Amino acid sequence: MILVPTHVPEAFVSMYLPSIYAALIVGFIATMAIASKRREIHILILTDVVGFAMIMVVAAVGTDLAEALILPGLVVELAEIMAISEILLSREMHKIEANPHKKLKKSDSLLPMPFDFDLEIMHTSPNFIALLLIAYGIFLTGFTGGAVAGAGLIIYILSRKARGLPAITIAGLGGVSGISWCLWIIGFALLFLVPGYWLIGLLLAACGLLLKVASKIGLIGAIMKEDIDRE
Amino acid sequence: MDFATLGGNLFGTIPFGDIVLYLTPFNLFLFAILLVFTIIIAISNTETQVEATFGSLKNTNVTVGKKEFKQRRILSIICGIASAGAMITGDLFNFTLFMALVGILNIGIVSSVKQVSVLDSAFNYGLIAMMCSLPLFGGAAIILAATGTLSLSILSSMPASPMVIFGAVLILLGVLGESGVAPFFASKAEMFRTAGSPFLVIIHLSSLFIIIRAVEILLLVLL
Repeated sequence: MILVPTHVPEAFVSMYLPSIYAALIVGFIATMAIASKRREIHILILTDVVGFAMIMVVAAVGTDLAEALILPGLVVELAEIMAISEILLSREMHKIEANPHKKLKKSDSLLPMPFDFDLEIMHTSPNFIALLLIAYGIFLTGFTGGAVAGAGLIIYILSRKARGLPAITIAGLGGVSGISWCLWIIGFALLFLVPGYWLIGLLLAACGLLLKVASKIGLIGAIMKEDIDRE
Repeated sequence: MDFATLGGNLFGTIPFGDIVLYLTPFNLFLFAILLVFTIIIAISNTETQVEATFGSLKNTNVTVGKKEFKQRRILSIICGIASAGAMITGDLFNFTLFMALVGILNIGIVSSVKQVSVLDSAFNYGLIAMMCSLPLFGGAAIILAATGTLSLSILSSMPASPMVIFGAVLILLGVLGESGVAPFFASKAEMFRTAGSPFLVIIHLSSLFIIIRAVEILLLVLL
């Protein structure tokens, strides 16, 4: 039975099987890598690669129904990886709670780096550079802007650490991330509901994405702590 | 295979466009039982584990705090509703989504416990569940590509091609992994070893029911 309409080029139809094979090979390689790795942060990231292979299989179908299936698949993947990293975090918290008098290791700070960051420039200019980067990131908006603003945040935290000040704990990061997600969804919905206001929808989505990308750094830093302790 | 052969008399269908819900005694029974269990779980209190301590005559109580209790209760209610949805759905992809949702909620229910070993096994179970989303969703997508539909009512009247059989095998693999049975039972069994039984039981119950429903769906698709 052939369900493909006649106006679809043959090249597209013949791409289905290779992409399925590619996805299965990606999944296989990722699971092999998981089997050979023992560090939890690596396993977490490699598991996400398996998830991407799943997205590839769904996307290979290439119809508009498949397009509608990718979004829930992606959301489920995201929810799972967030749940797992949450488990990892709360396990670390309980380990610390159970033994609070244990001397905190060097790696328990926000940015555990094996090499020395005590440079002259860290004492003089970083605040200004961080401010500049964040301002430039907000001006850019969107994904690139988020990355630039995130780099600004990193520089600010690094400089505080280098000067011996306590590195700020970013507790509200999850909240910011949630708000940005809402902004993005509202902007996305506006584009469909009132296409006349596309500009405001685009801006909302771009600002949401900016906050989202910028706030990702906190989560990565928190998970990194776990594995560096092992070395 | 036809609905009537598997589930008894067909009471009727509820068509939502392509997604056609079908009501047979089998599905309605599973649906109702799960809802009843969910209600029982929603109104019950948690148990308290009493553990003997070594080296003394004291006992230690492993209780569930109020915040933890509330969090677990809401998650287990959602878990019950999600598994009830998987019982009644007439769409293959919806079933896989419900299955994945149950997997996430299972992790969520134990995420607030204090035992490190339980959290360890929940982490491992989560990894397996995430890896198994590849065969689960991939199988559904392959069936969609081979037949052009995800509606179980249309799939049940179609003959199974080799691609459909491959997709069905993948779905079976995915369900086994996501619900934590078959080769991956060790981490799932460790997840239970904590206080708070009625909420923990929904983890067990949802995977039992989903396995039954998965068998029915595979029979519908294959035969």
